[in-house]
Amino acid sequence: MSKIRQQFPESGGDFAVPAHADLRAYEVFVRTERGKPQVHAGTLEAPDDELALQYGREHYGRDQPCVEVWVVRRESILTADSDRDVIFRLSDQSYRQAKGYSDVRRKWEKVRAAKAVDDYQREDLKEAF
Amino acid sequence: MSLTTPPPALIPALTEFLLALADDKFFLGHLDSDWTGLAPLLEEDIAFSSLSQDEIGHASAIYQLIATWDGRSADRIAFGRAPGEYRCASITTIEDDFDWATAIARRWFCDHFDALRLERLRGSSLAPLKALATRMAAEERVHTEHSDAWIVRLGKGNADSRARLQAAVDRLCVPATDLFEPTAGAEQLEAAGLISAEPRLFERWKESLERVAAAGGISVRVLPRAASAPPAGRAGRHQPGFAAVHAELSEVFQLEPDGAW
Repeated sequence: MSKIRQQFPESGGDFAVPAHADLRAYEVFVRTERGKPQVHAGTLEAPDDELALQYGREHYGRDQPCVEVWVVRRESILTADSDRDVIFRLSDQSYRQAKGYSDVRRKWEKVRAAKAVDDYQREDLKEAF
Repeated sequence: MSLTTPPPALIPALTEFLLALADDKFFLGHLDSDWTGLAPLLEEDIAFSSLSQDEIGHASAIYQLIATWDGRSADRIAFGRAPGEYRCASITTIEDDFDWATAIARRWFCDHFDALRLERLRGSSLAPLKALATRMAAEERVHTEHSDAWIVRLGKGNADSRARLQAAVDRLCVPATDLFEPTAGAEQLEAAGLISAEPRLFERWKESLERVAAAGGISVRVLPRAASAPPAGRAGRHQPGFAAVHAELSEVFQLEPDGAW
């Protein structure tokens, strides 16, 4: 321990955060590259907006490449919570989910590999024009 | 004209000027780092620690630059000099005894001075110094915004915080002007374009301090350092408290000065 620190007063009374410190909670978002979305990075508490932005920049913006930091008062965020609110549909609408497309290309390639398809398409074009 | 290395004849003067800058930042960063874990708010604790790391990072970068022509390693320049070879101004080695107002006021005087000092280096004809100063000046602006924010908040907080801040500012006004003690040969550096001349250095520093003080409802009364003032930190003449801070700072290095880290 630092010799100077050993002189730290035992009581520490002067350093306690007073009950009326009135800190506000903020949510912090960072954008790591231009064109990329803002991503939630964490939370902090600050006495006011200006220090909140300074702390947000200091804690979340400087340890990684970062082009923009947002701090938002948590009280300004409107929340829908799945414990209270219906967010996801209850009936089966799985057909609406964008699933299965990763395999489409492979399926197409398999079909196209069969020569018959090319012949069919050639005939098809001839008939049409 | 852009230089990649300093002209040999100007190396002693340039080294003096840069040691003053680096030593100021090194000692200030060291003292401020004592607040890690103890600052008044959690977020401030992290921010203040991070800012003191910045100061030590700046000092380290300058020691490394000096090392490119000095022959000694950056570590040896940082830790291995005798006390009389350090060039920091007295304000950077005044302990705050865990008085937050003193810690903030100390930073505030130094940050505003460094912002101006780095501006002079941004005009340097020495390319690596100019590049380094440009990067550091951007970070220094974050530092001044931080200390300004605290000066205003403590000043406008309540009667107690204002009184403590005013007392700290009053106490540091005189040692703060030691920042302006010129380093040996500084005028040669200006003449050669290695640093920009700034005849209004003191006035600009005073104006920026007064502007922030007014916003915080406190007063700051700084006077120019008298030309007849006795040699101080820039000549290696330090206050009695310096030795203890220096001994602590270099304690680990001195255990094994030739050790490889």
